[in-house]
Amino acid sequence: MFILGIFLLLLLFAIISFAVREGAWKIATVESLLILVLTAIYAVLRFTSYTGGFMSVSSYPVDTSIGISFSTGVSALSMALLFLSAVVMFIAIFVSGREKFNRSFYGLMLSTEVGLFGLLISRNFLFFYVFWEAIIIPVFMLISIYGGKGKEKAALKFFVYTQIGSVFLLLSILTLFSFYGTAYHTFTLNMGKLLNTAFITQYITGPNPFWTDFLLFGFFFSFLVKMPSFPLHSWLPDAYTSAPYPVSIVLAGAISLMGGYGFFAVLLPITAVIGSGIAWAIILLGIFSLIYFALVAMFQTDMKRMMAYASAASMGFISISLGIGILSSGNVAYLAVTGGIFQILAHGLIMSLVFSSLYIIKNTTGSQSNLTVSGLFREMPIISTFLLAGVMASLGLPGLAGFIAEASIVLASYQVIGFIIFFIIFGMIITASYHVWMVQKSLNGPYNENLGKLKDGTKMEIAVLSFLFIIILVLGVYPSLFYHMIFMYVKGVF
Amino acid sequence: MFDYAWFIFLTPIIFAPIAAIAGRKTKVLGGVIASISITISLILAIIVYIGLRLTDVPVYQTYNWFGNIDAGIYIDHLAIVMALMVSFVSLMIHLFAIYYMKDDPRQNTYFGETALFTGGMLGLILSSNLLEFFLFWELVGLCSYLLIGFWFFKPNAASAAKKAFIVTRVGDLLFIVGLAILYSLLTVRNVASPLSIPYLINNAPLIAKEVGAQNLTIIGLLFLGGAAGKSAQFPLHVWIPDAMEGPTTVSALIHAATMVTAGVYLIARVLPLYENATYVAPDAVLFIGAFTAMFAGTMGIVMNDLKRILAYSTISQIGYMMASLGMVTVIGTSVIGFSIYHLVVHAVFKALLFMTAGAILIALMELRDVRRMGGLWRRMPVTVTLMFIGSITLAAIPPTAAYFSKDTIIDAAYLYYIRSGGNIYSILPWVFLVIGALMTSLYTFRMFYLVALGKPRSKLAEEAKDPPMIALIPLMVLAFFSLTLGIIQYRFYDFIDPSTIHVSVPFMVEFTPLTMVVIGILAIAVVYGTGIWKNMDLSRSRVYRLLKAKYYLDYLFTRIIAERTILPLSSGIARIESGFSRDVEATGAGAMGFGSVLRRIQNGIVEYYFVFLIIGVALLMLILEIVGGI
Repeated sequence: MFILGIFLLLLLFAIISFAVREGAWKIATVESLLILVLTAIYAVLRFTSYTGGFMSVSSYPVDTSIGISFSTGVSALSMALLFLSAVVMFIAIFVSGREKFNRSFYGLMLSTEVGLFGLLISRNFLFFYVFWEAIIIPVFMLISIYGGKGKEKAALKFFVYTQIGSVFLLLSILTLFSFYGTAYHTFTLNMGKLLNTAFITQYITGPNPFWTDFLLFGFFFSFLVKMPSFPLHSWLPDAYTSAPYPVSIVLAGAISLMGGYGFFAVLLPITAVIGSGIAWAIILLGIFSLIYFALVAMFQTDMKRMMAYASAASMGFISISLGIGILSSGNVAYLAVTGGIFQILAHGLIMSLVFSSLYIIKNTTGSQSNLTVSGLFREMPIISTFLLAGVMASLGLPGLAGFIAEASIVLASYQVIGFIIFFIIFGMIITASYHVWMVQKSLNGPYNENLGKLKDGTKMEIAVLSFLFIIILVLGVYPSLFYHMIFMYVKGVF
Repeated sequence: MFDYAWFIFLTPIIFAPIAAIAGRKTKVLGGVIASISITISLILAIIVYIGLRLTDVPVYQTYNWFGNIDAGIYIDHLAIVMALMVSFVSLMIHLFAIYYMKDDPRQNTYFGETALFTGGMLGLILSSNLLEFFLFWELVGLCSYLLIGFWFFKPNAASAAKKAFIVTRVGDLLFIVGLAILYSLLTVRNVASPLSIPYLINNAPLIAKEVGAQNLTIIGLLFLGGAAGKSAQFPLHVWIPDAMEGPTTVSALIHAATMVTAGVYLIARVLPLYENATYVAPDAVLFIGAFTAMFAGTMGIVMNDLKRILAYSTISQIGYMMASLGMVTVIGTSVIGFSIYHLVVHAVFKALLFMTAGAILIALMELRDVRRMGGLWRRMPVTVTLMFIGSITLAAIPPTAAYFSKDTIIDAAYLYYIRSGGNIYSILPWVFLVIGALMTSLYTFRMFYLVALGKPRSKLAEEAKDPPMIALIPLMVLAFFSLTLGIIQYRFYDFIDPSTIHVSVPFMVEFTPLTMVVIGILAIAVVYGTGIWKNMDLSRSRVYRLLKAKYYLDYLFTRIIAERTILPLSSGIARIESGFSRDVEATGAGAMGFGSVLRRIQNGIVEYYFVFLIIGVALLMLILEIVGGI
């Protein structure tokens, strides 16, 4: 009930934000902070002695004849990502105070959060799909209304890509739904029942393996678009670059969790039906994405675009982790998959830190190109330090959250892929190179005097970014905070 | 009972931000707080040392970190010796840095970072798990990166920091592949905590039997890759000379005394794994170490930058420590003592040398070219005396400490040759190390001559002044230890490994290194003492040009690998990427005609869009009704 309460409150907040006349930013900030606090309290109450499975399970029938009911359930996976969305949304809304956005902007931002929360707590495929779709709309509008140069094209691309992905998702859900109906003569859209290895092997793979491949293809396709993975990523750089910064934070921090969530909420329970060929394909795709995006990022001169590709590159680890989880067993598999889930969390937090500090830099200097910004340490030492911290976290420096995820995946990967591991390492070296190169060009070096005298971030901004950095640091030093419960969840699902 | 041992590394880490923040208003406070925190570490380390002497049982406390990976502290004799050395040398350097950095407006940041570094280094030494070790390994790497680029506005410093980071990162990632292999192999055999250091070193023979010596060899080579990156061994040594762009106290602390020896410590830490691997892994350590000892020395001779001469000498000396560890299969675990003893002695005298260099650079306004110094003994007698003590120690002239530490390693190399059957291949390490000794003598006395003797060759050198005596006290302490540490040689070996053997070699062999040193001194006396060097034109000589170009390794890494391979690859892929993006758009726009529709929709108001959402959901419900009805 508690989590449903938070969800409804959030819905109410979104509506309030659309309606208020004055001080939309302040109200939205307080609202998102409240949601964050409530989510944290919820996590403490329900997940301190978590041993796997779902908490807060409840179901409200809508139309039982075709199996529709609003069922909720929160696993450790959802919990971690609920926390992530709450943090990212708070940060995004908070830093947007640098510009004058109108109330619809905040309404749309909170609507995105509603969609994310709905997606993460739904245990019914109809609502899963509805929220999956619902998230696209406010994000689409945020890009197309508030975006910068080329916003229309970017928004359109984002929309078309994710729509095509969604169609496949829907087809897969419907396949499961109709086969279940034929098999058991009852209709259900309950995720727990549909994502059942015994059911799939007996009634779908048994009669006709084509349909298993069909539905796996649908799921993989739609999740890989959202992730995004090569070659379905073309929407990403444009969307990230054209979107206003707060929306980029949401894209990199929160929207990117959807693909990973799909992987681990939908595909993980049915790994037994995923063949080793598909698993290998996923691993190789992940490694290829990692290297490809890293190399593309290296050649960008616009810091925002570079970090957009960096974000995509680190999503490669998630594909790798799922593939390794499928192909191995026992502790190695748990470590790999837990690492993958942790990567979603870490990546979201780190990207919010990077993009918010880039936002403040862009807003102060008027430029986000690392060819014109130089020696920023002199004029904006604190925000530069935050950017440096974000960059270090993004390249996987130990002690920060990203390392725990990457180390888990890399440690587990040798068991499955052997010396192909060196390709991952190559990707990581390239990643380190361009991150450090960006720091050298933008933060170090002689100061670009044309920029004049600059003001460092405000006290509030420093406080909020410190809070974000502390989360990243704590998760890097004491990962058990989330790692342990995710590990329990993964153990339970396998 | 050793709970407080955690605070050996936690204290500086906790105090680091305090030093950085407290030092913002009152500048000197940063250095004072950092020094106090390191003093606390030193005292705690001494208490633990006494405790270890009394109980003789290693301290081992560990907790679950994540998954099946633990983290904690493991303090045996090896670790406590390192902890004592690091906290002591770091304290001396911090005290001198209070003077050295006194005019820098960002000194609070500096002391915050060096305190963090010291904490990280101590954490690395006390780690009980290799992944935890890796965490601190990277933390000190980060501090090194930040401190090399401390004067971030200097383009050279910014670029050197980047280079250091990337080159060591290459090594670090090799290290983590080694960890991955070890982890995978042991986890599938149901080992509870596969990367725990005490487990690895106490069960090495068993592990070798379980996973195969072949696999251990691969792991050993990958660890060596990591160690080579951190400890600047061939061919990953290229970052250290550039790293001299940082403040000189940083070079003393990080790039001479402590961090660069982390690679040696890593291999010493897991040496039982090398012992049980096939001969390839320890031999690789031996040959890379011995070769680096000679190779870096040759470059040290032609450098004109005071700090770079010292940098190459550091690389070369670390080569000796590495080489010593590589002899483990033939000589046994005594080599850990030989190596670590030289490590400690080196830390003391190299910190001393770098700090005297720092004092000289302050007096000469950051002029680093030795050709423009000269005659400083008149102007800076105390500093030059200290530098002289450092120099004779570096050159291993008796009775300084390095004479005992370094010659033991060279003699051990001869023993290695005798014991491994006396073939031509196994004499090479000894030859390399002896040539290394000659090189050491050459570059050391060339440096000392050009800096201190002769006549001043620039205006700055004529007007140099000694720093205040109080600032030089830490240097005097270090000089005292450089001269006297030799006394404890055998007690030191026995503390590290009670079964240490006495290396005894034929008289002729034993005095070969010393002969080399004398030859070196004479050569320098002839060339530099008589002024011949002023008329020498070496720029035509092939050898000279090869050495000046640092064997073209920088050229290979920067020009050929980075600029001619990776960058074109990256630009090519970036071009493919933008082409791909355009193609997608073209296909999309052509096939769907979607654009015009959407442009129309975009003129609408926000509420309008929700109608779309509702229509969409309604459509979905409809589909479900139909499908459900089948």
